[in-house]
Amino acid sequence: MKKKILLIDDEAAFTSMLKLFLESTGEYNVAVENNPHRAVNAAEIHTPHLILLDVIMPELEGSDVADRIRQHPNLNKTPIIFLTATIREDEMQESQGVIADQQFIAKLSNTDFLIDSIEKKIALTHS
Amino acid sequence: MVDQFAIQYQSPLRVLVVEDNPVDLTVIKSMLTGTTDNYTFLKTASTIKTALEIIEEYPIDVVILDLNLPDSQGEKTLQTVHNRFNDLTIVVNTGAYEEELGLHTLSNGAQDFLVKGRYTAYTLNKVLHFAIKRKKLETELTRTVQQVKDAQEQLLQAEKMNVVGILASGIAHEVRNPLATILYGITYLHENIRVEDKNYHHVLKNIKEATKRANDIISDLLDFSKFKKLQLDETNIHHVIKKALSLIQYEIDKKTLQIVNDFQNSIPPIKIDQNRIEQVIVNLLLNAIHATEEGKISIRTYTRTLSNDLTEIPQISRKNFTPGQQALFCSIDDSGSGIPAEDIDQVFYPFFTSRRAKGGIGLGLYVARNIIDIHKGALILKNNEDKGAQAIVVLPYR
Ligand SMILES: Nc1ncnc2c1ncn2[C@@H]1O[C@H](COP(=O)(O)OP(=O)(O)OP(=O)(O)O)[C@@H](O)[C@H]1O
Ligand SMILES: [Mg+2]
Repeated sequence: MKKKILLIDDEAAFTSMLKLFLESTGEYNVAVENNPHRAVNAAEIHTPHLILLDVIMPELEGSDVADRIRQHPNLNKTPIIFLTATIREDEMQESQGVIADQQFIAKLSNTDFLIDSIEKKIALTHS
Repeated sequence: MVDQFAIQYQSPLRVLVVEDNPVDLTVIKSMLTGTTDNYTFLKTASTIKTALEIIEEYPIDVVILDLNLPDSQGEKTLQTVHNRFNDLTIVVNTGAYEEELGLHTLSNGAQDFLVKGRYTAYTLNKVLHFAIKRKKLETELTRTVQQVKDAQEQLLQAEKMNVVGILASGIAHEVRNPLATILYGITYLHENIRVEDKNYHHVLKNIKEATKRANDIISDLLDFSKFKKLQLDETNIHHVIKKALSLIQYEIDKKTLQIVNDFQNSIPPIKIDQNRIEQVIVNLLLNAIHATEEGKISIRTYTRTLSNDLTEIPQISRKNFTPGQQALFCSIDDSGSGIPAEDIDQVFYPFFTSRRAKGGIGLGLYVARNIIDIHKGALILKNNEDKGAQAIVVLPYR
């Protein structure tokens, strides 16, 4: 069965490309939400195995979205990976992307590293 | 009495007398040589041309300058000498009915003026010695003022460097989003689309490499200016405002501005990053100064308890505050041009400026808002009802 991923980012062009790429691996079904205010709602509907969440969005920051998801009784176990543009890839890999207990991935990571991180995170939470 | 002074003025002087009237020249020469032998060096010139040549060639302490020469007349004579030899002491020797002109020369580079026929050997000596001393002090003063100005310029430059950090993360975000879009797009094309054209993979490879190069540049920029964490300290906001004012004093001095400080007494200290908040105040003050040709700029500080519906805080920043919370307000109120209605939505955008021709970059407000944001505060900019604009910084007490 394919794994469900919810992708939350206000950049529509970016989300559609990342969705295309992830789905082309044959491993995932990707749902996209470009409005951070509707993020919790989208998560309720799709019940994803994992959420990819942009850090910097106007109006509502990624960390606020994450707080809401984690406070939600049905969603609080859903693993979240933050996507960020303001950290370098090598910085990221030094700490395996874990900063202050949160999993981060550089938006321009090499694609293998992205898949790898997603797989690990899902395996960890659903084992 | 006279003798006492004479002793004081006995250090040897190197004098050049510029005078085309032979009678006047004889009078001066005899006055200079008659009283004392200490004019080790006495040169004369009857035209400005020879005068300039002599000054060029010999070390001269003081020039006694007649303004009306065969090859140059009036104040222009003084200008010519002063502009060419800025550090030279000049005493102007004017005609009997030109006292007003004489006075005028003082603001144009002369240290003193003599009125022909009205001075004695004693006063001439005294005038020359005093003029040299005064010139020396003036030169030192000018140099010191310049040093202070340079130091201020450097401080301001250092302030602007802070900007780079904030800017870098802004650029990283703005540029990397499209880059990431390109990257995932070509990865998809590369792995999933079969195209017969033999150049297809070559083109994709080139795009991918170019994307990577652009990304590396962003990494370098971030590296260079890694946005440092806030350095929070309990701070008296008034110290920060005063420091900001001292940094931009020279901008204030360029205009006829009155800076009014209306500070609340015994304001409670607040936890902020002093350097960054100082930068916010500097940016806001500079904007107020640039917008105001002459008039008043008022800086006010006060603390308030926020209302239950937070109406005093703009919608976008309300998430940073809680109702009933104590907050510190600092407003900068100018009496300048105000912000045109069509610009008001754009002033916070990076690189928006109406002062491009005058060196504006359009980052002042963008940076200020970012700094206030990471302090979990609010920055408000609006037009006054009568004249000018008002910027308000609101910082919460926690
Ligand atoms: N107090 C003010 N009165 C009138 N207009 C203002 C005021 N403050 C800002 N503005 C407008 O907002 C624009 C943007 O301000 P901002 O500080 O971001 O950039 P800048 O001052 O033009 O350039 P710099 O990067 O040097 O600060 C200004 O060019 C000006 O048009
Ligand atoms: Mg400015």
